Amino acid sequence: MAQPTFRLSSARLAALYVIIFAVGVVSLLTAVYFLTARVLDREVDAVIQAEVNGLVDVYRQGGLLQLIGTLHRRADSWGRTGAVYLLANPDGSRIAGNIARWPSQVVANNQWLEFDIDATERGQVVSHPVRARALALAGGPTLLVGTDILERKRLASRLRNAMFWCASLCVLLGTTVTSIYSRGVRRRISSIALTCETIISGKLSQRLAIENTKDEFDELSRTVNHMLDRIQQQTEILRTTFDSAAHDLRAPLYRARVRIEETLQHANIPGNARDTMEATLLELERVQRTLGTLLQIAQAEGHGRELSAEVLDLAALTHEIVDLYQPEATQRGITLTARTPDTAALRGSRQLLAQALVNLVENALKYVPQNGHVVIELNNEPDEIVLSVADDGPGIPEEDRERVLQPFIRLERDRANTGSGLGLSLVAAVMRLHRATMELLDNHPGLIVRCRIPVSRAD
Amino acid sequence: MNVATHRSDTNFATQAQAQTAMRLLLIEDDLEAASYLVKGLRENGYTIDHSADGRDGLERATSGGYDVIIADRQLPELDGLSIIIELRKNADRTPVLILSALGTVDDRVHGLKAGGDDYLTKPFAFAELLARVEALSRRASTHATETTRLKVADLELDLLARRVIRAGRNIDLTAKEFQLLEYLMRRPDQVVTRTMLLEGVWNLQFDPQTNIIDVHMSRLRTAIDKNFAKPLIHTVRGAGYMLKTPEAA
Repeated sequence: MAQPTFRLSSARLAALYVIIFAVGVVSLLTAVYFLTARVLDREVDAVIQAEVNGLVDVYRQGGLLQLIGTLHRRADSWGRTGAVYLLANPDGSRIAGNIARWPSQVVANNQWLEFDIDATERGQVVSHPVRARALALAGGPTLLVGTDILERKRLASRLRNAMFWCASLCVLLGTTVTSIYSRGVRRRISSIALTCETIISGKLSQRLAIENTKDEFDELSRTVNHMLDRIQQQTEILRTTFDSAAHDLRAPLYRARVRIEETLQHANIPGNARDTMEATLLELERVQRTLGTLLQIAQAEGHGRELSAEVLDLAALTHEIVDLYQPEATQRGITLTARTPDTAALRGSRQLLAQALVNLVENALKYVPQNGHVVIELNNEPDEIVLSVADDGPGIPEEDRERVLQPFIRLERDRANTGSGLGLSLVAAVMRLHRATMELLDNHPGLIVRCRIPVSRAD
Repeated sequence: MNVATHRSDTNFATQAQAQTAMRLLLIEDDLEAASYLVKGLRENGYTIDHSADGRDGLERATSGGYDVIIADRQLPELDGLSIIIELRKNADRTPVLILSALGTVDDRVHGLKAGGDDYLTKPFAFAELLARVEALSRRASTHATETTRLKVADLELDLLARRVIRAGRNIDLTAKEFQLLEYLMRRPDQVVTRTMLLEGVWNLQFDPQTNIIDVHMSRLRTAIDKNFAKPLIHTVRGAGYMLKTPEAA
């Protein structure tokens, strides 16, 4: 059955959606994060720049003392804003400011820089990241203006965390929702496929379920059901026509036969008239037989009927039939052999399979010339039994192989033959009934008929 | 086929006639077919009653006294299978031959499961019906006895030793030929049709398109009759074969 493919494609679709969704969410959040971080950075930088500009102006206008005074005045707000100031001598010693020494790694070249300084908070040394700008003032001292960015970094990391959880939640949610949805799709597709399988196996009265979800599936199911209604109608007409034709033909044929038998028994009939009547009787028998085979094909095709299945051993059946036809083959100078495993168990109709085997053997014996070979082979494979009937007769040209499986199709070369042209089509019908595949292959030279009969679990 | 009876010298029907006439009940709603069957069976020495619907058929059948009942599968009022089921419920073991126009596997299986003894698909040759009715009536009269040794004229078949001896001479047979001979020897002086042999010996129910049984029979015949003056296996034209005791000929 084709179900695994559906499962795969709907799962693949779900996975694809989740991936696209995840990529979208993650890139959106990343963009938000970086934009936020940049805005914060700019704000910090703008404040520092304004401070630097202000302090440089103070220095220019009021000199060193004025600057020291301003720095001292700002002292009360230092702790609150986390601002970092340092005015130092060229040797790094502090003139004014709230850090003890000029940090060794900082060069006063008017560049943005970030470094860590250690501060003592409640008796503990905590390393604080600082973003700052340092520049050399005219006349020697160096100025460092910065800001403690610990809070900002914490904010960024919180933001990152929040975004990570947010993204994870989104992906989880996406996966759950899509998998539920795709399971729903899968369930409906499987149920449609399952129903179709049942219909294919002959239950033409089955219909797809309408779930009143008013979606595309309901629409599709409705259309398919409409189609099935039409097909069933047509088949029904054909079937009743066929059945009544067959029935109406059977009774008169039967009576005609009985009448001739009767007449032959009683009347004093001259020899040649008797011969004609007996020949007619044989013709009638042939018509009856063809009719019988047609009915059998129709029955095997199933009118939606269940096969009365029994567990049987196809190997034993094959040997019975080979045994039955062995003398006939010998008489025709044909070697008939069976190669089978000890057992080949399957569920099926013994009578129909026997009829199919017989038709295959008779067909082969009919066409194989003297000194020819007919080999029936059975092989047990994991889920099926492979039945091959191979001969080294004339074979069937490739373009005709499909055709000969249809009723009444006979090849041009067989026109003179008496066969009904139903033999192989009955085999095909029996095989279809057993859900088997049947193919005609080239035996170089000759014909191989290969049937793969699934072994339905005998439970 | 009655034809055959007349043209060949074997009048196989007389066996039934020779004993007190067998009583048959035919339950068949196709009146024309029924009239032919009634006529044909009477000519072959049977006493026959005809019933055209299932309910009437069941009444007659339960009133008893029939040796074999021939019942159509599909009947008005009550179908053939129901009749058999009713009969069997009342422990009536009268052999029933089911006639059916359907002829599907299921019908055959259902028919035999319901308690039918034999099954014949329409259309059939009259000879086929006759042979089966005779087989059923014989079975009814001679209760199945477990024997290990069958004997017809100077031909003996030992089921245990799997040996066949004719007039003191050992005859080698293949396993299938042995089974064929056993089938025939269990029905001496009875017509055995090709389909009966296919069913009984090969357990196959199908219509052979070729003379496949004849090939087997001719082999058996060679083995049994070739070196002896009086042949035991006879062909009944248009019907089948018969293993005949020389006295009955």
